[in-house]
Amino acid sequence: MTTARTKPLASTSNQAAIKEGRHAAFMNTAARRRLGLTVLGWTIAGVIFFPIFWMVLTGFKTEAAAIAEPSLIFSPTLESYTAVHGRADYFKFAMNSVVVAFGSTLLALLIAIPSAYSMAFLPTKRTKGTLLWMLSTKMLPPVGVLVPIYLLFRDVGLLDTRTGLIIVYTLMNLPIVVWMLYTFFKDLPKDILEAGRMDGASTLQEVLFLLLPLTLPGIASTGLLSVILSWNEAFWSLNLTSSNAAPLTAYIASFSSPEGLFWAKLSAASTMAIAPILVFGWLTQKQMVRGLTFGAVK
Amino acid sequence: MSTVTTSTRPVDAAPGRTAAARLQAWLPRLVLSPSIAISLFFVYGFMLWTFILSLTNSRMLPSYEFVGFAQYARLMENERWWVAATNLGIFGGLFVIICLGLGLLLAILLDQRIRQEGALRTIYLYPMALSFIVTGVVWKWLLNPGLGIQAMVRGWGFESFTFDWLIDPKMSVYTLVIAAVWQASGFVMALFLAGLRGIDDSIIKAAQLDGAGLPRIYWRVVIPCLRPVVFSAVMILSHIAIKSFDLVVALTGGGPGYSSDLPATFMYTHAFTRAQIGLGSASAMLMLGGVLAILIPYLYSELRSRKHG
Repeated sequence: MTTARTKPLASTSNQAAIKEGRHAAFMNTAARRRLGLTVLGWTIAGVIFFPIFWMVLTGFKTEAAAIAEPSLIFSPTLESYTAVHGRADYFKFAMNSVVVAFGSTLLALLIAIPSAYSMAFLPTKRTKGTLLWMLSTKMLPPVGVLVPIYLLFRDVGLLDTRTGLIIVYTLMNLPIVVWMLYTFFKDLPKDILEAGRMDGASTLQEVLFLLLPLTLPGIASTGLLSVILSWNEAFWSLNLTSSNAAPLTAYIASFSSPEGLFWAKLSAASTMAIAPILVFGWLTQKQMVRGLTFGAVK
Repeated sequence: MSTVTTSTRPVDAAPGRTAAARLQAWLPRLVLSPSIAISLFFVYGFMLWTFILSLTNSRMLPSYEFVGFAQYARLMENERWWVAATNLGIFGGLFVIICLGLGLLLAILLDQRIRQEGALRTIYLYPMALSFIVTGVVWKWLLNPGLGIQAMVRGWGFESFTFDWLIDPKMSVYTLVIAAVWQASGFVMALFLAGLRGIDDSIIKAAQLDGAGLPRIYWRVVIPCLRPVVFSAVMILSHIAIKSFDLVVALTGGGPGYSSDLPATFMYTHAFTRAQIGLGSASAMLMLGGVLAILIPYLYSELRSRKHG
């Protein structure tokens, strides 16, 4: 069947090529090459997305189905989701994640915007060096400061509190946030702020009414990156929280270690933890790509 | 650069308005100082504290009884530490190199102006938006010989297919590489794609006129242009490799045995579950030293060559 169908197609394309000359033949191979590459691209996308897809699928299976022969055909059930919620209050952990991720992002932006402003618009000889130094602190392994922070938090009662996590996440993301904001601010033509100053705007007005509205997309990307990083953070959340302030990452980890064999529940818990990011990320594709690449993609 | 900025801001130099001018000159420093002070205190202050702890015999609680470098000597004799340090070398090296290679190939693919490029880019980047904990969970399932890839391929009729790295002490560290590469190669792709788009078309046109084929153009013309992108990618990737902790916790738990321990998990185990704060601090300091020894020369050589080039 298939051979019979491809033959006439091939001959018509041959006739077309003869009719329209070499140019058409070239276009044809180019189009075919493009089609091949598109198929290849989507195949790779399928491979990359498969683990996520499979996890979401497993969350809708029963425990028995999850460890049976891998199969696409099964009767979906919400059993695991209700079980997960019954064992530990999902919404409490989700709320912790939301508060901590957004709280630390807001705080980081609040501290970073003035820094980035002064670096971008009032540069000195040492600005570049300072910036590089701030970034270089990100290269140092966090285990190097874990023990002191743990001891300090224990002594001042910040262990297992949202406030404690917000502080740590703010510190963690601050260098990246300052640096990204700096690059976005620098892209803004200087004349605009100059003009504002000519009209008698104070520095504060200049920042609030000119700089921030004009660089809003950049600030949004930066904020989104900070939210994602805080949302996903597990090193500090595992080490500094136990039950009260534990965010979703700690929640999944708690499912992972003692009962690693309950795959359906584990998948359901993980799915609930990543669903907000997957959905939100798809809706704000442009901002997400820009944020996750630290502003490299314009 | 600096001459340009001073000339556009004559206020700074005006002698009449000294108070305002002085404020203007100091403002950036004042505004910057909280960020810098915070970084200084938290990064260096706490590292110093860790260093001090590493010289003491602290166990469950920090004590300040100094024992010199005894903890470091103990560490040197600790076989588990060497496993962890070697693992970081294997994991970090393979992770960075494979991510760069795959990322570049994917970027070149997407650069061929194929359809729905935006959607593809987002899907390739998706893993990067996930927590390492989730990545660990997903791959723990896929790499589980009884459930994941091995079971699937066997189900298709290849009964002798074996893929049990997760439970093989010799191979377990490579499972970390697989999961981490899955997570980060799309990110490297996006960086490279942005770099490719930034290359001037006329350079490529010129090479084409000279009769160079596509692979040759990429190898000789395009890739050398991407050197700054490679630099940022290596920096970010090694940062990810160094701080890898959650992935190990979620994927292998350091096992089987301690075959897939990394220095971060080693440090955690000793400082918190085995009540060896002194030893844990010593391992943190050694890790820090190792990172500095490898990254600082690269950082400086790249920045210097960029200044001169």
